[in-house]
Amino acid sequence: MLPNYYQFYCPVKILSGQTAVSNIPFEMSVLGCKKAMVVTDKGVAGAGLIDIVKDAFADSDAKIGYIFDETPPDSSNRIVNKLAQLFSKQDCDCFVAVGGGSSMDTAKGANIVISEGSDDLLKLQGVENITADLKPMIAVPTTAGTGSEVTKAAVIYNEEANAKMAFMSDKLYAEVAVIDPRMTMTMPPKITAATGMDALTHAMEAYTCLQKNPIDDVFAKAAIDLIRHYLVRATQDGKDEEARLGMANAALMAGIAFSNSMVGAVHALAHACGGVCHVPHGVANGIMLPWVLDFNLDMIPEYIAELSGVLGGSIEYLEPADQAQVTVSQVRNLLERLNKISGLPTRLRDAGVSEDMLPKIAEAAVNDGAHVYNPKELTYDIALGLYKKAF
Amino acid sequence: MDFSVQKGLALIRGIPNYPVIQSKVKYILLDTSLNALGAAFELVTKMVPEMKAEIAGWNEGRKFAVGVLPKGPYITLEKRGDMIFYLGKGLLSPEISLLFKNLDSGVLVFTGMMSSHQAVAECRVIIKGNNAYAMEVTRAMAIVQTYLFPSIMFKKIFKDPPKLSLAQMITKAKVYTLLLPAIVKHMI
Repeated sequence: MLPNYYQFYCPVKILSGQTAVSNIPFEMSVLGCKKAMVVTDKGVAGAGLIDIVKDAFADSDAKIGYIFDETPPDSSNRIVNKLAQLFSKQDCDCFVAVGGGSSMDTAKGANIVISEGSDDLLKLQGVENITADLKPMIAVPTTAGTGSEVTKAAVIYNEEANAKMAFMSDKLYAEVAVIDPRMTMTMPPKITAATGMDALTHAMEAYTCLQKNPIDDVFAKAAIDLIRHYLVRATQDGKDEEARLGMANAALMAGIAFSNSMVGAVHALAHACGGVCHVPHGVANGIMLPWVLDFNLDMIPEYIAELSGVLGGSIEYLEPADQAQVTVSQVRNLLERLNKISGLPTRLRDAGVSEDMLPKIAEAAVNDGAHVYNPKELTYDIALGLYKKAF
Repeated sequence: MDFSVQKGLALIRGIPNYPVIQSKVKYILLDTSLNALGAAFELVTKMVPEMKAEIAGWNEGRKFAVGVLPKGPYITLEKRGDMIFYLGKGLLSPEISLLFKNLDSGVLVFTGMMSSHQAVAECRVIIKGNNAYAMEVTRAMAIVQTYLFPSIMFKKIFKDPPKLSLAQMITKAKVYTLLLPAIVKHMI
């Protein structure tokens, strides 16, 4: 089915495969850049992944101007503002973000502050509110979930409001995404599972939400297919290079899909869990996904049903609502399997959420813009009901 | 589209200065609709308890604007106490702005041909300011739309069309009665 109207945009050059990181200095020269601000976190640096990036610069005219490794798990406006100041002080001309969503979004946030000539990210909140051209950015994901390397979104934690802020703009796309299997090999099983569920949520929400469109559908289904093949494998054996590359590509394709189709109620509920209780984004998405699919089922049974085959289940030619139930069961089964392999939480109570916090999280969820794209209305009572089910 | 309709539209497009005229007509339509929305915001906050509850948690003095890029029309409103006041036309230093990218997108929403959530999903609207605040404004606007638009249009503009109680229908009738004088008051 074609929607009445849709937009699709993805200007990111994608380098995927063996030794892809080695191409970063060449890509910098193509972009006219000479001095990179590398944005990462202590975990990535400690795992030796920055050394791989440094090696790539050894025989090049391009230089690493500064390595900023202070990115926390939930990047904040304070960190973003600090990075923006450092970028100017170190006279860098591009960002190379090496890490998970937090590092990439921190780089995007600082890029907004620098390019808009501001001193505070909070002044620049909004959707399609950025007018200045941003500094070139090369994104090197070290997790396989966020998709931030190919999205127009950045999510930054607002320390004052205790909530996650979403920035959306076509200006936020990186110039280059570098998918190198070496960069995701060190991810522990639980994080592999959580980020994989994040990618699955991106793809499934892109396929089922209001702005689904035929181009994104292709990316979403391809992503789900890769996740079916590789998520359990990558979680079981982190050294399985094929599975790692498969999952990195799945996250990228899911990112392309949701950057245009957008997401839905799962993300609104997960953002609120992250903002209020600091539940990791992938964990919260994984827990909430089956409950929201079940909630949306009566409105869009066909779309949910269509995914059962891609997820690896047989297409049984049931009525759409029954076939959609098969899809929901498949997601639950995957979650249970990942729980057994890696200890990935399947319920909110196991993810550090206390029951008395649920009303506060539900309040935050209805103020999250992601649920605008959900096919069904998410009110406070519905959000609270879904949280109680997932608790 | 029916051939005769196409022929009719082609004839209309042949009118000298048609692009300017159609754009002016759309501007006037949106200007009037926004003026009605502003006046309705004031009336609904005064008369509807659920609206008062919705805005109770808003920061005092929150100013928000609704309008159309690039040249307007725009309106700005402000929360003071338990009321929302329509400050008038234009962008009067709003904290949050919900802006349609063009006149056509505004016309689709303000004539009830498209829901505001669908307009957002189709990237027809940009938001300036805190997204969470924008969501609160959108929910308040949905309550105003409940009392502004006829029930027959609800299916088109809401994901979950509200069912009005008898008391709410009486309030809606009162809003309709008071709306025209309120609009006129703001025009002069």
